[in-house]
Formats: sequence, structure tokens, C-alpha cells
Amino acid sequence: MAQKPQINIIAVVDVIGALSGRTLQNGNLCLVDNGDHSSTGQGTTDLCTFVRPGQVVQWSALAVDLQTPVDIKSITFLGPDGTPSPLGRRDANGESEKLDLEHWAGMVPPFLPPGVPHRYRLELQMYEGEHSVLHVDTPALLRV
Amino acid sequence: MAQQLAIIVLVDIGNALETNTLEGNTYLFDNMKLHGSEGQGTGDLVTAIHGAYWRDGSQATEQVLNWLPYSLGSIPPTVPRSYQSDRARQSDEQALAELEAVTAKAGAPGADPTPELDHIRQVAGRRVKTTRRTRGRLSGQKVLDVTGQVVTEATAAYSYPGPVITDIYGQAVDEKIMYPAEYGSPDLVTDGWYWSATVDSSRPGTYAYTMRIQLHKLVQRGGETLWEPVNLTCESKLLITSEPKRNGFTGAGLGWLPIAPQAAQPQTAQPQTAQPQTAQPQTPQPQTPQSAAPQPGAPQFPQSAGQPQAPATPHS
Amino acid sequence: MPPKPKRDNGPAKRPISITAVVDCVGALATGSVHGNLYLYDTNKAGGSTGLGTEELRTRVRRGDQILWSVLALECEAYTAIDGILIDPEVCEPVRKVYPGTDVAYWIGTIKTDAVQHVPYQIKFRLGSRDEPIVSTLSPSLVG
Repeated sequence: MAQKPQINIIAVVDVIGALSGRTLQNGNLCLVDNGDHSSTGQGTTDLCTFVRPGQVVQWSALAVDLQTPVDIKSITFLGPDGTPSPLGRRDANGESEKLDLEHWAGMVPPFLPPGVPHRYRLELQMYEGEHSVLHVDTPALLRV
Repeated sequence: MAQQLAIIVLVDIGNALETNTLEGNTYLFDNMKLHGSEGQGTGDLVTAIHGAYWRDGSQATEQVLNWLPYSLGSIPPTVPRSYQSDRARQSDEQALAELEAVTAKAGAPGADPTPELDHIRQVAGRRVKTTRRTRGRLSGQKVLDVTGQVVTEATAAYSYPGPVITDIYGQAVDEKIMYPAEYGSPDLVTDGWYWSATVDSSRPGTYAYTMRIQLHKLVQRGGETLWEPVNLTCESKLLITSEPKRNGFTGAGLGWLPIAPQAAQPQTAQPQTAQPQTAQPQTPQPQTPQSAAPQPGAPQFPQSAGQPQAPATPHS
Repeated sequence: MPPKPKRDNGPAKRPISITAVVDCVGALATGSVHGNLYLYDTNKAGGSTGLGTEELRTRVRRGDQILWSVLALECEAYTAIDGILIDPEVCEPVRKVYPGTDVAYWIGTIKTDAVQHVPYQIKFRLGSRDEPIVSTLSPSLVG
């Protein structure tokens, strides 16, 4: 079977629940993908998406409370020690207020070592304010 | 996924009926304050709509507007949809039960049922007459006051029925910027009907539109109590902007995911416990090396998972 | 020609309704209702001012009934008034529910003639947050 050219990862967020409890845990964030392979942790914050080199992976965020705003603020791959990779782009132009224009997609690099999870930090912005940004470090991509 | 945008139309119905205008008696809100909407909570709301397009010029987001009309100082919209008829039925049941008690006592010598009957009249309240002209969701209901009690006299402090949008028209519709229509909905807030529109965000500019809003005035005619419809209008504006979508990783087009080759974790590594917290202090970090972001010849720019524009119900 | 409809005298006995419109998501994201609260009442014709702000000044007289209720900007969000903090010499609002529902309102009667400027605060319950959030700026009752 030909591999899918693109895998979509959707972050489904209970914005009011997450802001109320100030956490993406407790069911406030569900990650799901539509990959070909049997990704693990579907519907949890520990989604591990199985990918192949050259595939495009696209992330998007969706609020379960439909009219509340949620955008991806950043996706940063983590090193073996759990620290963010220096390769990530960080608000280069400072236009963080236009997160809705950002389209989070990239190709799986050919050099990605297979068989190990490459964890990433998914940072979500819900509305604006001191307590509006929450993140998880638990999801991962895994090259099969 | 279509972005659901809400516009709340809060009407001071008492004052609007008194002065026969919605001007100064309508307060508008939307949930696009962060996108630059102005005049929240006033009669002069300008709703900002942030459009986006792909590099080939096609529209990248679906914006769906939903209008929610509310009444200031009436029974809130959060009570169940059947509240008016539930209260009417409850008061009927109570009156019947009391009537039965009076009837049982009526045979006793010297019994005067007048005070009890007076009380039953109070309990039974005042029902709005059904006529062909006023038939609809209000006909046959009883009049309630603002605390949900059934009202006996038409002069009492009754609660106005919520405002009803009956049309949305004007420049933004004539110029095909938005396509409004009224939809049925299973939700409990909007009485089963709501106005919704999809937006063409490809033509930036400010576009006005007009809402026709029906209010209801309680009148007595020929000894009957009737809700008389009063049609008024109010205006608002859409401010449409459109900008290109850009890649969150590269700031430009599609590239390789920014995973350092050495970033692979040992297989034994346990996922860290997530530590949700507020924004991390972030030190400036170098841009993705250009070599890692091959723009030309990159795969077809992926389309979003956007769905076609059938407006979803505004409420989950 | 139908007989001219008789005007009702409804507003005379109607309580003054104060409606707090809350941007629940904004309040939760900032931890404050400041900038996320719009107050209105139904007594504009009687001289209330500051409608649409956090410092609504409601014109009242002795014997007036005041009814407070809340409206969420996001209709999915749970929003409720948890208390009205006001001088009990002036008004003692109590929580009531619409009969047969769990939808609440707060109601109280103005007890004194000498209302000049009585600031008060509103305590809100928002979303599933444990602690209530109290209004930052004070609305008031004025004579």
C-alpha cells in the first residue's frame, strides 16, 4: 500500500477546562492522527505518530467549545535530555498575535533515526493573558 | 475546520419599545477582540474577520458567523427552551389541584370559597390569546415576570420575550461578502433557530449590514392580552482582512521538520511527565538553517483539513 | 379599525435588572474579570450611567428591587454569580433560582433613602475553576 503523502495530527482542546484548571491534562487535550500505521496513544497527550521519511506531518488545533480561540504557539522537538532542540524557529518576527495565520507542517527528514520516539513540545495559546499558554512535552513522532 | 465566530446582540427591549428604536438600546459583542474587533459592548461594533489564503491565492480558512440575540433584563436564555410552556403547565396543574380542594369543601355549610378562588386566579395567571396573527412560539403561553413567576395582570412586571432576528441584509450581503441564512438547531439557547453566514474573506474592506429585529410588546385589545410584534433595525459592520498563511516552522514555505539528527532519545527513555505551565522563558534561538528548509521543489503545499462551509451549529 | 391598543404600565413595577456580560475565556486566561466584564442595567431612562463598563452606576430609590444576572459571551461557558458584596444596610441580595431550573439570579430590595454612592463587588464562578473571581473595579448604586 502506498504511504499517505500527509499525516494530520489534530489537537482537540477543551479550552475552558484547560484554562479553568490551568492544565492540558485531565482530558483537556486529546491528540489524534490519521496515519497509516498504528500510532499509539490516540486520544491522549502521549500520542506517538508513526511516520516515514518524506511524509508531510501537519498539526492543527481545534476547540471542543467551538467558539473559543485556540492556536498552536509553537512545536519544538526535544533533545534526548528533554530540552528543546535549537533548530526551532522562535517568533522570528514577533507577530505572535497572528498565530491563526501559521500553518504547522513539515516533512519527515530522511536522517531521522528509526525506531525511537522523537518527542516534541506542543505549546498552545488559548486567548490572551498571563495564563493563556500551556504546553505538553509528551507527544512524539516515530519513524517506522 | 470552520472557525465559528459569534456576534451577540443584547437588546434593552423595554427602552427600545419605549423609544421605538434600537439605537442606543442595542449592545453588540463578538469573540474576535483579539483579531481587532472594536466597540465591544456598544452599538457600534466593528467585527474583525481575519481571512487567510494559501500561496496559490485560494482561501485557507472558513469563517462562519453566528448571531445570538439576547434580551437585557428578561428571563435568561440559559433556562430550558420549553421554560415558558413548562411554567404555564405547572401553574395549570397547581390551579387544578387547588380547585379540587375548594370543590371538596364547597358542600360544607357556611363555606365561602371566594378567598380560595381568588388565589387560584392568581396561580392560573394570564394566558396570551392565540389569534391567527400572533400565532407562533408566544401564543397560548402565559405571561411570566422576570423571576419566572406567572403573572396575573397585564400591568405587572412581565418579562419580555427575547428579540428575534428576522433578516440580515445590506451592503455586506449585496456585495456577496457574506451569505446569511436562518438555520434550525437542536441547541437549547437560541429557541431552535439562529442566523448564520459564511464569509468570503478574499476582498478586504469594511462592509456594513443591517439586522431586522422583532420585539414583542404586551398589549390589551378588547379584553384580550396579545404580544404585538414590533419590527426595528440596527446596523453593524464587518472589517475583513486577509493575509497569506505561513509555515509555523520556517516562517515561509514547507521544509523539513526541525529535528536535530542527534535528537533521538534512547529507546529506554521514559516520556517526561508533562508540566503544563505558563509561558516558558525563551532565549532567542537561531533560525532554521536555510539548507534545512528547501522552498523550491518542495512537495505540493498541503491543504488544510478544512471542511466545506456547511455552518455547524454554534453550540456543541 | 381595531381599537387602539392600551399601553401597559409595566415598567413601573419591574425590578431593575443588572446584567453582567462576562468574557469567560478572557477572564480565565488572565485570571481577572478586568477588561472582560460589561455591566448593563434596565434603568438607563431613570439615570443610570456607565453602561457597558465595569463601573456601572445604577440609579436606585428606596423600595426598588434589584435583580442581578449573568450572561456569558461564549454560550458554552459556565458562568454564574457567586455573591454580591454590598453594604447590608443598603441592600441584602439573596440567591434564587428560576423555578424548576438551576439557573440562578440574585435579588434584593433597596432599604434606605440615603443612597448616595454605594460601591459593591460581584463574585463570579467561571468555567470549572475552583476559586471564584471577584470584580476588580466596583460598580455602584447611586441615588
